[in-house]
Amino acid sequence: MWTDEDTVEVSISGDRNVAVLQVLRDDPELNFFFLADAAAVDYGPTEHFEVVYHLYSDRHPAWLRVRARVNRADPHVPTITGLWEGAMFHEREMYDMMGILFDGNRDLRRIYMSPDYRSFPQRKDFLLPDDAADSSAAGVRPLERPETWDLSRLSDELGPGVLANAEGES
Amino acid sequence: MTSEVKIPDPIDLDRAEEARLRRVAGLAAQRTTPAGEYAGFESVGLPELPPQTERERQVYTLEEGEMLVNMGPQHPSTHGVMRLVVKVRGEVVTDIDPVLGYLHRGIEKLCEEATYTTVLTYVDPMDYLSTMHNEHAPAIAFEKLYGITPPRRAEYIRALVVELNRIFSHSLMMGFLALDMGGITPILYGFINRDEIVDMLSAISGQRMLFNFFRVGGVNWDTNDEFLSRLGTWRGNVLKNVEMSERVMTDNEVFRARTIGMGTLSGKDAIALGVSGPNLRASGVAFDVRKAHPYSIYPELEFEVITQAGGDSNARYLQRLAEVKQSIHLIDQIIDKMPHGPVQAQVPGIIRPKPGRAYAAIESPRGLYSVYAISDGGPTPYRFRMRDPSFVSLQAIPKLMPGRLIADTMAVMASFDPVMGGVDK
Repeated sequence: MWTDEDTVEVSISGDRNVAVLQVLRDDPELNFFFLADAAAVDYGPTEHFEVVYHLYSDRHPAWLRVRARVNRADPHVPTITGLWEGAMFHEREMYDMMGILFDGNRDLRRIYMSPDYRSFPQRKDFLLPDDAADSSAAGVRPLERPETWDLSRLSDELGPGVLANAEGES
Repeated sequence: MTSEVKIPDPIDLDRAEEARLRRVAGLAAQRTTPAGEYAGFESVGLPELPPQTERERQVYTLEEGEMLVNMGPQHPSTHGVMRLVVKVRGEVVTDIDPVLGYLHRGIEKLCEEATYTTVLTYVDPMDYLSTMHNEHAPAIAFEKLYGITPPRRAEYIRALVVELNRIFSHSLMMGFLALDMGGITPILYGFINRDEIVDMLSAISGQRMLFNFFRVGGVNWDTNDEFLSRLGTWRGNVLKNVEMSERVMTDNEVFRARTIGMGTLSGKDAIALGVSGPNLRASGVAFDVRKAHPYSIYPELEFEVITQAGGDSNARYLQRLAEVKQSIHLIDQIIDKMPHGPVQAQVPGIIRPKPGRAYAAIESPRGLYSVYAISDGGPTPYRFRMRDPSFVSLQAIPKLMPGRLIADTMAVMASFDPVMGGVDK
C-alpha cells in the first residue's frame, strides 16, 4: 500500500480484481460506490500490463487506486462489468488499445479502431510513424516502404519501356 | 485476359461511334476479369473479421418486422461524428448500438511523445466545448508529479476561466437540446452568451477556441484591461440572457411534452453506468467533484451541490440552468476574493518529474474528467490517461431508448450533452 496526498493505492494480482472490488463496493464501511476510472498501463515488452481502477467513496477523503497486475504474454483478466455496467466501454477501450482480454465480457470488441484492425496501438512496442523504422515490425509490410521496392523485376517481366511509360504518364 | 466481344459492322457507323463502342467493349471485358488476375491483388486478400460478440449478435439479428437504421456519422444531431445503429420496429426503437471512433486521433498516445508543457496543448481539442477544463486536470496532475503549487492568484484565475467555460458550455447544451426538437431560438441565445465569453477568454489567453492557457505551475497570462471590461459588460447582461432563454424553454408546452418523462434514469442505474456530472445530479445523486474531492480553490467558495429529483431530460435541462446560475454566483465570489501576486511559479521549460504516479479529477461541464499520469523521470509522461465523462455517459443511451420513438432518441441524447471530440479522444 502506498499513498500520496489524496490517493490511496492498493496492488493486487489481476485474477482477484472482481473479489477485491466487490468487497470495496459492497462493504458499508468502505462504500466505494463510484468507479471513477479504469485504464490499462503497459510497462514494456519484457514487463507486465496493469489494469488500474480508481474508486470514489463518500466515507473516505481520498481516491482509491487499485492496480491489478496482468501477465503480458497471456493478458486475461476477469471482467468487472458485473459490478459496474459502465465499465463496458472502458474494457472495450483497453482491449482495443492494449489487447487485454476480459473474460466474461459479453461485448469485447474494438471501440475506436475498425473491426479488421490488427494491432494494439497503445502498447509500448507500437511505435509512432516517426519511429517506425526502428520498430521490430518494420519491413513486415513492404508496400509501406517504397525505398525497398525492386522495380527492375517489373521491367524484366513486362519488357523494356514499361517503367518509362509509367513514369511519363505520371 | 481479353475476351471476344462482337463489335457491330462499322460500315454504317461513323468513327466516333466506333471508338465509343470499342471503349464500352473494353470496359466490359475489364469488368468480367476475375479480381485475382489483377497484378498485385492476390497478395492483399480481405482481412478476416473477428467473430461476433454476444451483444453484437443480439443487436444485429433481426426479427420479423424489425430493421436497422444508421443515424450518422454525418447526422447533424449526433453532436459530432458518431453513428448510432438503431434497430426499429416501425417507429419504435428496440435496440441501439453506438459506433465510435470516427474522430479518434490517439491523443493519449501522442501525449506520451510530448513534453509535459506540450501535453497541455494536445488536450485542448479533446472536449472542444470545455477546453479550459481539459487543461485543468493535466495541469493539476503534473503539478502533483513535479511537487509544486501554483501561486494563489493563478488558482483564482483558473477557477474564474473554468467557471466561465462551464457557463458557455451549459448555455450551448440548452440551445442544442431545443434545436434537436426543432426550436431555433434558444441556440441563438446560447451563442450570444457563448460568443461573449469566448471573446473574453480569447482576450485573456490570446486564442479563440483552443485557449492553451494553463501551464504547469500557473497560467500563461495575468488578467488584462480588455478581459476585465468584457467581464464587466457580460456580468451586467448575463442574467437577462439566461432569463430570455429560460422564458423560451422552461414553460414551453412542446418542450415540456418532449422532455418530461423522457429518458428517465434512476440514480442507482446512473452510478452503475458511470454517468457523472450534471446528468448524475439530475438523477438525485449529490456527487460533485468540486465538493466531494475539493481541488483548486473550491474549498474557499460557498456553494451547495444542486440536485434534481426527476432524472429525465427535463431534469437534466433544469440542472444545467441551475448550474449556470450557480457558476455566476461562484464567479462573483472569485472576483471579490481575487488576491494580487504572480500568476506563474518558477518552472523550467522542460520539466522532468521524479518517477511516480498522479491522479487528478475535476468537475467538467459533462462530469468527472480525470487524468492519470505516470512519470518515469524523463521529459515526457510514460503513460497519460484521460477519462472523458461523455464517453462513459453515452452508455446510457442504449439503456434508455428501447421502447421509445426514434424521434426522441436525439432529444434524449442531446440532454446528456455528449461531445464527440472528447468521446473519441
